[in-house]
Amino acid sequence: MSVTGTGRPLSAVAFLAFLLAAGSAQAQTRAETLRYVTGASVNTLDPNIPGTTREAFAVSLCTYDRLVSFGRKQLNGKWVFDLDTITGELAESYDVSPDGLKLTFRLRKDAKFQDGSPVTADDVKWSLDRAVTAPVLGKAQLLTGSMTSAEQFKVIDPLTFEVTLPKPDKLALPNLATVYPIIINSKLAKEHATADDPWATAWLKEHTAGSGAYKLETFKPGEQVIISRDESWNRGSVAKPASFKRVIIQSVPEPATRANLVERGDADLVIDLQASDVQSLEAKGKLKVISTPQYNAVTFVAMNNQIPPFDNINVRRAVAYALPYDDMFKAALFGRGAPLFGATWADGKPSSGAYPIPQPVKLDLDKAKDFLKEAGLPDGFSTTFSFNVGQASTAEPMSALVKESLAKIGIKVDIQKLPDAQMSTQINEKKLPFFTEGIVAWLPSTDYFYRNFYTGNQRWNYSSIDNPELVAIAQEARFEPDKEKYEDDGRKLNAIHFSVMPQIPLWQPNQDAVMAPSVEGYTYEFHRQVDYRDLSRK
Amino acid sequence: MAAFGATMIRAGRRFLSSLPALFGVLVFTFLLMRVLPGDPAVFFASGPNAGKEEIEIIRKQMGLNKPVPDQLMLYLYDVGRGNLGRSMMTGQLVTKDLRERLPASLELTFTALLIALLSAVPLGVLAALKPGSVIDHGVRLFCALGVCVPTFVSGLLLIYVFYYLLGLAPDPTGRVDIFTTLPPSRTGFLLIDFLLAGDIEGWWAAFRQLILPALSMALFVVAPLARITRASMLVSLGSDFVRTARSVGLPWWRIVVTYALRNAILPVITIAGIVFSTMLGANVLVEKVFSWPGVASYALDALLTSDYAPVQGFVLLMASVFVIVNLLVDILYGIADPRVTIG
Repeated sequence: MSVTGTGRPLSAVAFLAFLLAAGSAQAQTRAETLRYVTGASVNTLDPNIPGTTREAFAVSLCTYDRLVSFGRKQLNGKWVFDLDTITGELAESYDVSPDGLKLTFRLRKDAKFQDGSPVTADDVKWSLDRAVTAPVLGKAQLLTGSMTSAEQFKVIDPLTFEVTLPKPDKLALPNLATVYPIIINSKLAKEHATADDPWATAWLKEHTAGSGAYKLETFKPGEQVIISRDESWNRGSVAKPASFKRVIIQSVPEPATRANLVERGDADLVIDLQASDVQSLEAKGKLKVISTPQYNAVTFVAMNNQIPPFDNINVRRAVAYALPYDDMFKAALFGRGAPLFGATWADGKPSSGAYPIPQPVKLDLDKAKDFLKEAGLPDGFSTTFSFNVGQASTAEPMSALVKESLAKIGIKVDIQKLPDAQMSTQINEKKLPFFTEGIVAWLPSTDYFYRNFYTGNQRWNYSSIDNPELVAIAQEARFEPDKEKYEDDGRKLNAIHFSVMPQIPLWQPNQDAVMAPSVEGYTYEFHRQVDYRDLSRK
Repeated sequence: MAAFGATMIRAGRRFLSSLPALFGVLVFTFLLMRVLPGDPAVFFASGPNAGKEEIEIIRKQMGLNKPVPDQLMLYLYDVGRGNLGRSMMTGQLVTKDLRERLPASLELTFTALLIALLSAVPLGVLAALKPGSVIDHGVRLFCALGVCVPTFVSGLLLIYVFYYLLGLAPDPTGRVDIFTTLPPSRTGFLLIDFLLAGDIEGWWAAFRQLILPALSMALFVVAPLARITRASMLVSLGSDFVRTARSVGLPWWRIVVTYALRNAILPVITIAGIVFSTMLGANVLVEKVFSWPGVASYALDALLTSDYAPVQGFVLLMASVFVIVNLLVDILYGIADPRVTIG
C-alpha cells in the first residue's frame, strides 16, 4: 500500500516531465512490422526440447539457420514447400556422392552468428552431434534419415563438412532441412553447458545462439515473442535480409477475437481461425484468404483392428460405407479441404502410388448392412466414438453425424469427448476402439507414411494394424532408388490399405491463412506454420 | 492503537491456524492430479516422431518415473524451498509464471470489484429506500440480466460493439497495446507502474485495455452485491435506531449513509470477499476472451494438458489468496463494526 502513497507526488512530477518530452516519442513503423496472432503459444526457443509447440518451431526457423532448406513450388496456384528442391541455407553448395553415401557441404564464407563470430564446420558438427546424442527431439527425426551417431559427421576443413550414411537414404538430405537440426553457436552454447547438461539444453531453451534471419527481442512464454531482423543475413533465396523489420507473434486464445483483429487490420496474419469465420471473412472480400489443403496431413476415422468387433474386416468395411462423407465434410470443415472419399478407381486398382489418395468409398447403407451381415452382426453393436477437446470445433459436428448414420445400420454409438492429454494417453495405450484423429508428416513420401503410421505397436499406428506384407513393402520402398518401382510399391501399399481398411481417411483440411491484402509471399510450409521470412508487404 | 495491535496479533494467529488447511490443499491437489486420467508425458511428446523413448525422457524430466509417495516428498521439499516446479507448457518455473500473471489477474479483479461495488451499493440502497417501486424493479431486472448473461457472452458482446463496430476500444489482446513500451516492472500492476514511470500515455493505454474486461466481470457480480445490500438495508432501515434517528429529525442522507448503511455493510463486505476470491480464479472465460495473461487461463491450459506443476501451484496460490482475503474481510469487520472481534 505504501507504493501508492509515494506514487502520487512522484507521478505529478513525472507528468510535467512527460508533457515537456511529449512529441519526441517516435511512432513505431507499423508498415515494417508484421503482427501475427495465434491461439497457441511459443514455449521454448530451442525446437529440440521435448514438448515444443508448433509455434516454437516457426520461431526457431527464423532465429536459426539450417544447412539446407526446402524450395517452394506452386500447387493449384498456391505456394507450397517443395520436398524435391533442396537449396543451401548455411551451406553455399552441397554434393551427394554417386553411391549416395556421402553428403558434402561447403559453408558460406560470410555467414556469422548473431554475436558476430563466424559459422564454422565445428559449429555444424557440434550442433548435429547434439541432435543425435542429446535427449532431444532431433534424435527421432534424424533417425528417419539414417543419421544416428556422431561418428557420421566429419569436419573436413573450417568451411567443409561431411555426412556419411550407412545406406543411400533419400530422406537424409531433406531431414537436414527440417526444424530440428539447427546450427548453434557452439562456443556460446558450451559456455553455458554444465556437467549434467553438456548440450546446454536448459540454457538454449531460454536463449538463442543462432545465425538466423531474425534476432530475439522479447520472449514471454504463453504471451508473445518479438523478433527483429538481422540486417546482415543473406541466406534466403534472394540473398537479402528478411523483408519485415519486426515480427510480433502474439497469443490470442479466442478465435473470434483473432478474426476481429485481422478484419479490423490490427493483425496482419492468422492461420488458425474457425472454418466458419474464414468463410465469412472470405465472403466479405476485404482480406486475402489463401487456403491450401495440408497435403502432408490426413484426418481419419480410426478403428482399432485388435479390439472386437473392429478386428473383423467386414465390420470395418461396413463402417466405411455407412459414413455420411459429404455431410461430414460440410459440417466439420465447411467444405474447406481436399476430400479423400468418393473416388472411382478404374478396375478397382489404386489410381496412384502417392499417399494419401482419394478412396473409392461413399455412403451406401445397403452395402454397409450386407457387410455387417457377413460379419455375423446383422443387428449391429454398441461402441464409443472419441475425439479430443482441442479438435471439438470440427470433430463435434462430425461425430454427431457419424452417430446418426451408424444408427441406421444398427450400430449404437456413444460420443466421448476427451481432454487432449487423456485422449493421447488412451491412444498410446491402445484403449480406444473407434475415434477420429489426424496425422502429419514433415517429409511426406509414401513409404514414410506407411512405415510410421501403419507399422508396429506404437502410438501413431492408430489402427494397430499388423500386416507383415505391408511392412515388408514399405521397408523395401524406403531404399528403392528407381522411381517407377517406387511408384509400383506405393500402388501395392494403397491396394492393401483399401482391402484391409484399417482406418478410413476422410480428408486433408485446409490451412486457411487470412491476411491483410498488403501481405505477400505466404507459403504453406512442411511444419504447417508460417515462415516469417517468406513474407513481405506491398 | 492498542486495539489495532491486538487485532493484528489475532490476525497473525488466525493466519497460522490456516496453515494446516493449506497443507491439506497441497497434498490433496497433488494426489488428485495423479489420479486424473491423462499422462502428461504422452501429451507433451507429440512431435511428429515422438516415440516411446521421448515419452520416457519427459517422464523422467517431470519426475513421473518415481513412485507417487517419493514424488510427493520431493514436491513438498521443493515447495518448502519456494520452488513450485517447472511448467511443461510454458517451459518456465511455475513461481515465475505465477509472479508475472498474478498481478494481471489482481489488477483486473480489483478494478472489476471496484466497479461492481460502486454501482451495486448505490443501486441496492436506492432499491431499499423505495421497495416495490419502479426503481426497485428496475434494479432487480438489471441484476437478473447481469447474472443471466455469462461473462464470455457479455465480453464478446462488448468487444463486438466497442471494438469491432465503433472502434472506440483498443484491440482486446492483453493488458496493453502491443506497440506501447512497457514501464519498468515495480509492482506488476500496470496502472501503478505507468504512473510511477510517469508515462501518462501508457497509463491511458493500459486503462483502456482494462475497462472492457473489468466491465464484463463486474456485470456478473453486481447482482449478488446489489441484492445483499438491498436486503441488509431493508433490515437496517426498519430497525429501532433508524426510527429514533428519524424521530429526532436528522437529515435523511445522514440517516441513510451514517446509520443505516454502516450497519448494513457487514454482509456486503463478506460477500465482496467471497466474490473477489471467486472472480480471481473463476474468471477464466473473461481472461480467454480478452487474451488477458492472468492466472486462471494459465491454470485451465495447464489442466487440459495435464501439466501438473502449474495446476498445483495455482490451487495453492488460490488457497492462500482465499485465506488472506478472509483475513482482510475479518479486519474490515472490525473497522466497520467495532463490536466485532476476530479470533
